[in-house]
Amino acid sequence: MAKGMFVDTSICTGCKACQVACKEWNELDPEPAHFKSDPATKLLADHFTGDSYDNTGKISATDWRHVRFIEQFNRNRIGSRWLFSSDSCKHCTDAACLNVCPYSAIIRTEMGNVVVLQDKCQGARDCTHACPYGVVRYSDKSGTSQKCTLCNDRIHNGLGTACAKACPTGSIRFGEVAELRTRADSRLARLKASGEARANIYGYKEAKGLNVFYLLMDKPSVYGLPENPVVQQRPKSLPPLPANLGILVIGVTALVKFRERGAKERSEEKR
Amino acid sequence: MVVRDFYETETASFWRNSPEIKSGELKTSEIKTEVFFFPSAQVPEMEGSFTNTQRLLQYHEKAADPPGDARSNLWFTYHLGNKLKALYRNSTSDRDWAIRNLLWDYEPEPTEVANWRIKDEPSAYKVLKEINGYNWGDKKPLPSFANLKEDGSTACGAWIYTGVIPEEGKNNAARRQGDNWISPNWGFSWPANRHIMYNRASADTEGRPWSEKKKLVYWDPNADSGTKDTSGRPILGKWVAPSGESIDFAPTKAPGSLGRDDSIGLDWLGGNDPFIMRADGKAWLFAPSGLVDGPLPTHYEPYESPVHNIIYKQQSNPLAKVWKVDGNPYHLVADPKYPIVISTYRLTEHYLSGTMSRWLPWLAELMPELFCEISPELAAEKGIKNGEYMTIQTARGEIQARALVTRRMRPFVIDGRTVHEIGMPWHWGWQGTSRGDVVNDLSVLVADPNVSIHEGKVFTCNIRAGKRGGTA
Repeated sequence: MAKGMFVDTSICTGCKACQVACKEWNELDPEPAHFKSDPATKLLADHFTGDSYDNTGKISATDWRHVRFIEQFNRNRIGSRWLFSSDSCKHCTDAACLNVCPYSAIIRTEMGNVVVLQDKCQGARDCTHACPYGVVRYSDKSGTSQKCTLCNDRIHNGLGTACAKACPTGSIRFGEVAELRTRADSRLARLKASGEARANIYGYKEAKGLNVFYLLMDKPSVYGLPENPVVQQRPKSLPPLPANLGILVIGVTALVKFRERGAKERSEEKR
Repeated sequence: MVVRDFYETETASFWRNSPEIKSGELKTSEIKTEVFFFPSAQVPEMEGSFTNTQRLLQYHEKAADPPGDARSNLWFTYHLGNKLKALYRNSTSDRDWAIRNLLWDYEPEPTEVANWRIKDEPSAYKVLKEINGYNWGDKKPLPSFANLKEDGSTACGAWIYTGVIPEEGKNNAARRQGDNWISPNWGFSWPANRHIMYNRASADTEGRPWSEKKKLVYWDPNADSGTKDTSGRPILGKWVAPSGESIDFAPTKAPGSLGRDDSIGLDWLGGNDPFIMRADGKAWLFAPSGLVDGPLPTHYEPYESPVHNIIYKQQSNPLAKVWKVDGNPYHLVADPKYPIVISTYRLTEHYLSGTMSRWLPWLAELMPELFCEISPELAAEKGIKNGEYMTIQTARGEIQARALVTRRMRPFVIDGRTVHEIGMPWHWGWQGTSRGDVVNDLSVLVADPNVSIHEGKVFTCNIRAGKRGGTA
């Protein structure tokens, strides 16, 4: 039975304990882009974004988890909401990253989680372009692709994920996907009954089902999630192809797509 | 000044790089304080209990020796005490009597330090046992504060902790058996492992739970009370708590039963008087005694307010503690120089003044710099842009911060006039990996009359675009 996580954003408080627990367990570096060098302390934090309480901005090779802050406040502050959502790899049932890897360096374990094998990854980056969620990121330091492993070492030793363990409200739950879905369904029914008309579950049908799925308080695009993620099925390049050109083409296409999506999301968040 | 810390905190470095040094207000060469730095052990490198604000004592074991000369706080205090006792051993002066007679017997048992490099680390267990209390004669720990005597035959550091070490070698603070409810076997909740005070109040006047779903302590009329009537039949009825919660009430005092008029203390209270630490056993809305002000809550404006109290003639609490001293000038009520309300608060990403959390890159990158939350309306009025620097000013000081322009902040209309509010977290200082100005340079020293809580939640200020000192 597949293991996964249910992220109930309706009870997330935006505390970021999950982000820190993830970095601690997985021994991830501070994101270099968030610091400048300093004579006294070596590092000096220097990445104030002005975007609500979010100063990390996105998932990266050293930030496998990212808490999004969405301020829905109109001029009169009527019907105001401050939405939070802790985002990571969704461990798709139909995983584009796994489908496209020319080196078969991305595998699915018997627990259903999708893992980049660090010793097999050649840094081709097809996965980083294929992921419809922008989750798989390339690390210059390791020369490989990096992403959430669903705490592969923990879950194969009888523990849940570090983020779920650290979550003080139970917003992130680890467990059997089937059981988590039952929980999510009843939670959604309760929210609907209490008048949350826009509440919805994201991840039942997308990419043939996401092992990490979400209860959202608004439509997916508000949270930067694609309404209809396109999952690539086959590798576009094969290992010894003149890869540079191929990657460049894919890269440009993905970048354009990514930008378009980003712009759309931004305009919707500002609503 | 002796500094024992993980990092060179703001307090430790005030003499060389504080804002006052940088502004020329203080000169390092003129500061007469001699500063000593001692390396300190980190939390996993020392043993001991800590008590959180919900009264739960939890024990942490030592996981490793600290490196080099770094030592625990307990080590430092214990050996300082030993040195003082040695220094004063032969003193005949009355004023040194307390030091000479101080009981300071926290020498570790060989087993406690067998696995560690540092052999003179005092016994944290013995300290906790002394706080718990013990029989003076046989030195056995006391299981309950009910065992304390007023004849000198028992010793106790704090009666509320009695029961944390109920018998020799048993440390209830070190228990780690949690459940998904009260978890009575996780740590020790003072007093008497009570997690919810006055918990008889979770049942109504007939002893039935107010809420079936949240039932905690209630009267079971069919439970054997453990006592028998004159004909030898068991007397039925007692308070029960299926969660294992320690019941904060006489176990067989039935709901509705009357207190005894000819008695004193708890016996005088009846079966519907859950608030056993109050003389009358009741919770008070009207508090005729015990408070410096009172007896009923009312609305006062903060000591510094941009508006007059529109409910009462009395502007603010007449008993508020004020300090009319240098460096603490007060703003007037509705002071035209300081028309903006400022509120200060904490974030989840940093801890208190940030002296621990701001040095950790994982936390520093989440909240990298001091910021000030401001409404778009006020930002437009002052020409302040999101993400850029702004200056906040009071009669006490002037600081700069990044502006976070957000509609979460909103202008108020009070008595027909628009009043703006800004908000600032106060975790910052000039040291560490995440740095910013010190927000308490702005705040006003005013305290409530009962427990002297500093009125940092609300006072008045003025703001402008750009960095302090007038630079952009």
